[in-house]
Amino acid sequence: MIQEVKTSIKYNHTFDPRTKRHYINGFQAVLHCHHYSTLYTQLALDASETELLKDCARDSFREVLDNYFVQNPDISTIQDKINIAIQYFSLFGLGKMKVNFLGDFSGEVELITSHIDSGWLKKWGTYDKPVNYISAGYIEAMFESVLGVSSGTFKAVEVQSIVMGSKSSLFKITRR
Amino acid sequence: MAIDRKKIIELMSKIDVLPDENGIIEGFNVYVNQLPTSFWNSFAERLTSKAENLEILHAKEYLLYNAAHECGYHTGYGIITSDEWNAVVAPMIEKVPEDILFGAFAVFTAWGWADAEIVELVPNEKLVVRAYNYYESDIVKYGSSNKMSAYMIAGVSAAFMDLAYGGEYDPKGKPIGTFECKQVKGIECGDAYGEFIVTKAR
Repeated sequence: MIQEVKTSIKYNHTFDPRTKRHYINGFQAVLHCHHYSTLYTQLALDASETELLKDCARDSFREVLDNYFVQNPDISTIQDKINIAIQYFSLFGLGKMKVNFLGDFSGEVELITSHIDSGWLKKWGTYDKPVNYISAGYIEAMFESVLGVSSGTFKAVEVQSIVMGSKSSLFKITRR
Repeated sequence: MAIDRKKIIELMSKIDVLPDENGIIEGFNVYVNQLPTSFWNSFAERLTSKAENLEILHAKEYLLYNAAHECGYHTGYGIITSDEWNAVVAPMIEKVPEDILFGAFAVFTAWGWADAEIVELVPNEKLVVRAYNYYESDIVKYGSSNKMSAYMIAGVSAAFMDLAYGGEYDPKGKPIGTFECKQVKGIECGDAYGEFIVTKAR
């Protein structure tokens, strides 16, 4: 079925009864819990592979966003694309995002709520450093997809974190 | 056997999982996400495929398996105590905990984790699961790998046995690890299906 979520993002969820796989807007998706996402994050921290975790998130989300914009050419302005990307972030269950600004060379994004941070707090409590590399990857993908630049152009760094006790998380984005 | 696997998959796979106004999905006593499978696969495969030696590989594989083991324990408990379970699966249960296990693997399949079912169950001793289609095998597009890579299925399978026979559910997860799982066949390795054997932990 196709339904409108909030104002404009399309949500087309299908289940293939032959392969038993789920698809959202044509991309295979799977339900997982905060235990899984936070343990992957903890694993990345322990293995000093947080950049890899972020890269994997960026590459995966970039494909989804790019495809959405190709399939929906009416979403053409930067404002519209950001609006869709914000809603996609929520559709994934990753939280609520506010883009303070986006430019060719820098940007700033705030997370009002965050799946990773809420999950981490529920599982382990506060932490002494930021942990949301999955959202950082999403933010890099969003900047690159909205501006139509190559992968790896932007670097998102979490400078304020809910898991460290802040009310919201803040990401600074710079051009590499 | 009162568990109607086909019916459970049909009904439970239709559930649309949508976020609240804060972009958070709460359900089954956990926060839920619905990310692309390519994300989970890419991290697991890129992490393990660059391991410098077998010791490091096994350490990374254990952590991936453990993530699923904890996830399966807590989310599994959330599933078997949920309204959806009570509406669809609970009326089919005659024998506890064995029917719960069969029902849980039907839900496991409905959630898109894998088309997996129990092929052998020795109560409180052994579980054999076969997966005929699973996203973790997508890491191989051509040929076959010599590395079994279905860490998620293995971890969750062990967790379901922990839930069934490891004593009362503990929110802190103490029974996690009562059982352990070893993958012995994999589609990613050229086999027709993945096979997972759960036994009591040594």
